[in-house]
Amino acid sequence: MAYLSELLGKPVADIDGNKIGTITDVIASPRADALHPQIAAIAVKRKGVDFLIPYADIAVLVAPAVPVSKRIADIIQYQVSESDLYLARDVLDKQIIDTNGMRVVRVNDLDLARVNNAFYIANLDIGSMGLLRRLGLASVASKVAVKLGRPLSSGVIAWHDTELLPGDQPMRLKVASDKITDLHPADLAEIISDLSRSESSKFLESLDIKTVADALEEVEPEYQASLVEGMTDEKVADVLEEMSPDAAADLLAELPEERSEDLLNLMQHEDARDVRELLTYAVDSAGGLMTTEYVAVRPDLTAAQVMEVLRETANEAETIFYVYVTEADERLVGVFSLQNLVLAKPDRRVNDFMHHRIVTVMLEDTQDEVAQVVAKYNLLAVPVVDEQHRMHGIVTADDALDKIIPTAWKKRIPKLYR
Amino acid sequence: MTRLWNRLKPFRTRILLLLAVIGPGIITANVDNDAGGITTYSVAGARYGYSLLWMLVLVTLALIIVQEMSARLGVVTGKGLAALIRERLGVRWTTIIIGILLIANLANTVSEFAGIAASMEIFGVSKYISVPIAAIAVWFLIVKGSYKSVERVFLVASVIYLAYVISGFMANPPWAAVLKETLTPTFKLESGYVALFITVIGTTIAPWMQFYQQSAIADKGISVSVLPYERLDVIIGCFFTDIVAAFIMIGCAATIYAHNLPIESAADAARALAPLAGPFATVLFALGLLNASVFSAAILPLSTAYAVCEAFGWESAVNRNLREAPIFFGIYTALIVLGALIILLPIKSLVDAMLASQTLNGVLLPIILIVMLRLINDKRLMGKYVNGRIFNIISWAMVIVLIFLTGVLVVTSTFPGLLS
Repeated sequence: MAYLSELLGKPVADIDGNKIGTITDVIASPRADALHPQIAAIAVKRKGVDFLIPYADIAVLVAPAVPVSKRIADIIQYQVSESDLYLARDVLDKQIIDTNGMRVVRVNDLDLARVNNAFYIANLDIGSMGLLRRLGLASVASKVAVKLGRPLSSGVIAWHDTELLPGDQPMRLKVASDKITDLHPADLAEIISDLSRSESSKFLESLDIKTVADALEEVEPEYQASLVEGMTDEKVADVLEEMSPDAAADLLAELPEERSEDLLNLMQHEDARDVRELLTYAVDSAGGLMTTEYVAVRPDLTAAQVMEVLRETANEAETIFYVYVTEADERLVGVFSLQNLVLAKPDRRVNDFMHHRIVTVMLEDTQDEVAQVVAKYNLLAVPVVDEQHRMHGIVTADDALDKIIPTAWKKRIPKLYR
Repeated sequence: MTRLWNRLKPFRTRILLLLAVIGPGIITANVDNDAGGITTYSVAGARYGYSLLWMLVLVTLALIIVQEMSARLGVVTGKGLAALIRERLGVRWTTIIIGILLIANLANTVSEFAGIAASMEIFGVSKYISVPIAAIAVWFLIVKGSYKSVERVFLVASVIYLAYVISGFMANPPWAAVLKETLTPTFKLESGYVALFITVIGTTIAPWMQFYQQSAIADKGISVSVLPYERLDVIIGCFFTDIVAAFIMIGCAATIYAHNLPIESAADAARALAPLAGPFATVLFALGLLNASVFSAAILPLSTAYAVCEAFGWESAVNRNLREAPIFFGIYTALIVLGALIILLPIKSLVDAMLASQTLNGVLLPIILIVMLRLINDKRLMGKYVNGRIFNIISWAMVIVLIFLTGVLVVTSTFPGLLS
């Protein structure tokens, strides 16, 4: 076990005992067959420039003065490849993403572990012990801590549970790994909230459209708008198409009018039409809260036919737990749940097993009124209708209750500017 | 009509962009005219008349150079200065720099509360009432308020600085003489003059400004494409703050200096104005001091807490509320509580010590400026936004002059009587 901070600044001497210089950096290569990058070379400052000594030529890496097993003249310098990491330059003291704890932390030190004659990056030290060790206060601090009966946490996370920020990575890694894209969108939103705005823009750039869309939906519209500010119109339009229409409308409402018009023109016609309709309603009215992605069927279909319809068309819908029944003129006449549908005999008609008494809200009802209806009747979603009882969309329970139980990260500490 | 509208469109877009960007530069510059600053400018005007006005022109130029670099660092890297120092210089230097910043900012916070106490005493309010109320109000504003509303409050508060411009006019100075003295550099080799000369520079270009402005810019997420607008924000802010400073000097010079009255503080200056320029001038002057002190008592602790958390990677501990961000709120609260307590405790020497510790700013400034110049010339970090050759020569020359002057200030304030 060795710490990177202890290697840096150590003198290096060749086989004849001539000093080559002092270590300025350690280079590690990611390996396909191991989770942890392997130490490939050390950078030594020699006559003002970096001299790269391959790990194979180093007799002992962890030593008060590092001996090399060759003469200076015989050393063939290490060739850096694109994926190599300069540990001091790229990792030490930088921010990284802890994909286990879903947060952004600063690296206080790197743990290098020796396995079969090779060194690997084992862990990243993010705890206060790492900080104190680098200040030369480790032993004093741990003694005090023991006296106080509160041992200091070592705060170590394994390398494979971390991800470098896109801005600090070598070129090859501009695309985020599976570690990031597999995270729940709400966790991604937490990570974005830990970063400054420009860092988070870089972070979003490294993600694919679908992931960006999912993560953005978890973020406050106001902040969404500033995140997409730096993206190209084409990319934002793609992201908007991926988002549910109500979230897309909320985001567009936060942008300057000219830009949101440009974006709507770039979007696919159908997606844009839904969003345009939603944009006409006040943000905190039922119309502004609703989504247009719900499932509606005609009353004369059979249960079996409805199942078929669901299979074919419902993958886009926000929820299929409720299926709404509308006439040709879009008048809402009934509703049934997935449970009703599954329990109905395949040849029964919708008209026979649907509920005729429907709880609805009007387009211009306020968010409070919608939330009360949802809470009172224990609904997962409530349909939104106009005076003629024509159906326009649904408000899901989470959107309705958002105002009463704010999304966790509305309650952040004050940013200097936000 | 439509054609005219269309021709105005690019102009309109530009104004809108500017309004979106504006903020960090102006707010930073305004906090610069804090209790310590107002005291310095009043004393300068009262003791030496218009003869220090010419240097404000040069100080403004120097301030713009420093703050522009800070803005450029923030816009291009998207990181705060504390974060960049940590990433480039490692733990040890960071600890030293942040340690000094912490103490210097505590000292500055103390002087803000001193300003609150002094200005409210002019209105007949005891400091045992005004200081605790101000401390609690400032604490609640940041911890419980939404920052958006806080920013608006601050931008509106900036307008109150115009009180000094008005009180400057009320003093009815001989404008021809003022203009002449502004354009003709003079110098007196006299210890009091030299000390004040350097203090004006020290109070105008203070290290916390670079930390605060850069974090604010990074947090606001101002992109490289609008860098020219951010520059404008900085330049407007610097001019505004130094014009206000000039009016404070002019106001005191036209009245107090002209009648040869002795003053030691901004509060003295405010009182002295009443018989000379009318009681309304006193009210305006005191109100300006109160506003500046409260404004800075909120911003300074906030920016300090940010710098510390940024440097040591506690950003993420800074999550949602008080309980989940103990270090951030701990530092913020401690600075306010200590700042208010030191003013309220009847220990005169403690207060004097804290007020005199402007010296710490002087020690820190050269380090910060050299670090900034190294960072801004780093190609890997700044790409094509590194300093140009001429800009580098000017800024290095300025840094060397500033280092020399602050060196003199540190020596003279540590060993008073050296020059006399």
